[in-house]
Amino acid sequence: MLSYETILTTCTYCGCGCGILLEVLDGRIIGTLPQKDHTITQGGLCIKGWNVHQFIYDQGRLKRPLVKRDGKFTETTWEEAIEEVATKLNRIKEEYGPDSICGLTSARCTNEENYIFQKWMRAVIGTNNVDHCARL
Amino acid sequence: MTNSIPELEESDCILVTGSNTTEAHPLVASRILRAKQKGATLIVIDPRRTQIARYADIFVRQKLGTDVAWINGLMHIILKEGWENKEFISKRTEGIEELKKELENYPPEKVEEITGISRADLRRIAEAYAKAKNASIIYAMGITQHITGTDNVISLANLAMLTGNIGKASSGVNPLRGQNNVQGACDMGGLPDVYPGYQSVTNETIAKKFEESWNAKLSRKPGLTIMEMFQSIEEGKVKAMYIMGENPMVSDPDLKHVEHTLKKLELLVVQDIFLTETAKLAHIVLPGVSFAEKEGTFTSTDRRVQRVRKAIEPLGEAKADHEIICKIAKRMGNDSFNYDSEEKIFEEMTRLTPIYHGITYERIEKDGIQWPCTNSEDPGTPFLHKDQFSKGKGTFFPIPYREPAEIVDEEFPFWLTTGRIGFQYHSRTMSGVSPSLQKEAKEGYVEMNPFDAIQLGIEEGEKVKVISRRGTIEIKTKLSFNVGRNMVFIPFHYFESAANVLTNTAVDPISKIPEFKVCAVRLEKIEEENP
Amino acid sequence: MLDENIVSAILGLKLSHGHPIPFLFTKSSELGKWVFDESVRYPLTKILIKIAQKYPDQKIGVVVRGCDERSLIELFKNYQLQKDKVIAIGIPCSQDLANRCRCERPFPSEIEDGEFAKPVEDYSDIEEVEKLPEQERFLYWMSQFGKCIKCYGCRNICPACFCPSCTLEDENLIKPGGMPPEIPIFHLHKAYHMADRCIDCGLCEEACPMGIPVRRLYRKVKKAVKDLFGYIPGENEDEKGPLEFLGDGSYELPGTGK
Repeated sequence: MLSYETILTTCTYCGCGCGILLEVLDGRIIGTLPQKDHTITQGGLCIKGWNVHQFIYDQGRLKRPLVKRDGKFTETTWEEAIEEVATKLNRIKEEYGPDSICGLTSARCTNEENYIFQKWMRAVIGTNNVDHCARL
Repeated sequence: MTNSIPELEESDCILVTGSNTTEAHPLVASRILRAKQKGATLIVIDPRRTQIARYADIFVRQKLGTDVAWINGLMHIILKEGWENKEFISKRTEGIEELKKELENYPPEKVEEITGISRADLRRIAEAYAKAKNASIIYAMGITQHITGTDNVISLANLAMLTGNIGKASSGVNPLRGQNNVQGACDMGGLPDVYPGYQSVTNETIAKKFEESWNAKLSRKPGLTIMEMFQSIEEGKVKAMYIMGENPMVSDPDLKHVEHTLKKLELLVVQDIFLTETAKLAHIVLPGVSFAEKEGTFTSTDRRVQRVRKAIEPLGEAKADHEIICKIAKRMGNDSFNYDSEEKIFEEMTRLTPIYHGITYERIEKDGIQWPCTNSEDPGTPFLHKDQFSKGKGTFFPIPYREPAEIVDEEFPFWLTTGRIGFQYHSRTMSGVSPSLQKEAKEGYVEMNPFDAIQLGIEEGEKVKVISRRGTIEIKTKLSFNVGRNMVFIPFHYFESAANVLTNTAVDPISKIPEFKVCAVRLEKIEEENP
Repeated sequence: MLDENIVSAILGLKLSHGHPIPFLFTKSSELGKWVFDESVRYPLTKILIKIAQKYPDQKIGVVVRGCDERSLIELFKNYQLQKDKVIAIGIPCSQDLANRCRCERPFPSEIEDGEFAKPVEDYSDIEEVEKLPEQERFLYWMSQFGKCIKCYGCRNICPACFCPSCTLEDENLIKPGGMPPEIPIFHLHKAYHMADRCIDCGLCEEACPMGIPVRRLYRKVKKAVKDLFGYIPGENEDEKGPLEFLGDGSYELPGTGK
């Protein structure tokens, strides 16, 4: 195999928007480097930035959808999970109206994901009950 | 931010307040220190002696929650001395007379009494800020997380306009956003009253534009804010909640209440990369992916739209958050959620969002662009309000000082304020599982003044009870002169000793931001049980 | 070299999204994106350790300037890389860069192309601090260290720092947490360890977000070791550092060399 590359991207911790390089050895992230010629950071990072890769492979990462049955989580397939979420949301929407549903979008997610989330809440669910933790 | 991070370096006076910049925004602090090295005057106004305060030419502590008073006090002095920028005021602002009237109520003696900042210091600060060529204000949650958060922000804007320190390079009012894409989440319409690009949901023309594009009937009624959502769940009006990548179980005020509330829901769906405290309460948990497993963009605190690139494939069966939402939307019977790529989503968004209109993936391939960027020729906007404010003239709003929602008394004699530390991040979902970070800051602590500790017979490292009207936590002490007398500080990151068990849910009436930065507590020794 | 199988890969910089970033070239067809940029330096030899740990038997080429070559010598000496598995591809620095870096040896022993820049002997950065009266000098450094946000960037980027466990993270020596970290202990520990290891590349100072002149400090201690023992790190492969701070034999670490 033998492949090593660095991927130019943006740090996911605070709002400074630091340029980082994720070091990928044979398809696995092994480290982070500062982007030396980034407009904001000019090659500097804080301790969070230098270690931003460390949580990625944590064993606590969720890898399959979970459904709670009798107070306990059990793994399920995507098909079933999506089906269940959609059906339940449709039912609640019909029964109590769209404003009985609300959503928290995320300061952790990308712009694209935030756009899709609010579009879904507004256009599909039919409510403006969208907010996120910016206030917190 | 009205300005760019690199621009700060050229400011000749920087006023930092309510921001522990070196710990929470290190790469902004880096520019502040460079400005200082180039001769800028650095002013830090904070209840805690933060790291950046060590480098301040003037450092003062205000009493918690008295920001409007000192800002009004500064403006009072500036007007008395004639240091205001008369040209800027007459050309670009309105409402100065009303402001002047209100400011008469803030003579230095009175402000000193309210804020604890001495008259002499107030004068020095007013002079340094007003007489600077390019002065910048930097603030963070220490200004906004108050019931007077909006008042504080408006007051800072008043101060900047009064001295003409806005609308030019290296000079403006710069809120620092706490999370990597808070700016983007707001820009994208992750708010109850606006579509992407801060376009009001109540504006008929705008709503029609979105209806046409999304091929759906849209509500003209502004939605609920996060605090209102919890209230409506309590009242039984909201039945289902969908949470994408947030952990209100650590980040919200009054946690016991949040847990109680979330448990009332008929349906709670949480989408996250970890089984967070919030996810544990969910009926269904869907696995999202980390930033390293997807393509997209983040918008940093200085409005810079930058690329996020995929380094590895998603772990297990996890999926990017937008993919999951698109699947649900389609399953709910909507067919306008088909996208080949993240770029296609971005293109749809920019078409509908004037401030992002000129940005494309191609244009930000190399470096980011700062919005507003309205067309393909527009290089973006390093600083805002150059020739005019978005609404034309800038309006001065007279702001009277109001006390915090909770003040200390005999039963709860200590002020509590909360904040971040540099080694942890928010609810620790990510930093808590990062060995290099966790090693530096394993557990929460309450920082208190050694003199107070002596009075209470408390020693360094001793576990104590911190009690507020809302709850009790047990936590280790850390003695430090960084906090003043009769005041304690607790980092809010730790679920095990969560500061937000104690904090007050009183919110700012406009921004709905809770008053995390001020509440009243008492400290108690934990009686050792006899062996 | 790739085609002739002299090396199985070459570590250098590739132009990606308009920026030169580290990349391991394994096919000659990829070399079109090969780039050489004076203004952007990455610790390639340090990256090479990570690759060599996984592929100890592969022979890998690495692009080196004078400083990188000095770091290679240190890494060979300390068993982090095997000399016969590394092919150094030498490039000289421009005189301009040599001057900016105050570099005493701005070129590797062999260069593929270009001209050797003249060595620069300039200790004015150190002299400037040494001129100060003792009290002021102390305050100067304390004030510099006080800016530290404990990012460990100076260590992380250093092509001569390689220990699997670092004294800077030893709880018995330095208290965990703290912004700034315990001063001056944190920085003096680092400086002590750099004294007979620093190859004076200056990457540490470039990586410091707070503008602490750490290189100045390391140059000073390095100069002290040179004056006392006549030892210069990165010069001679057969000569070990006089401080032996890693203890007798303990630096035969789980690298690839031994």
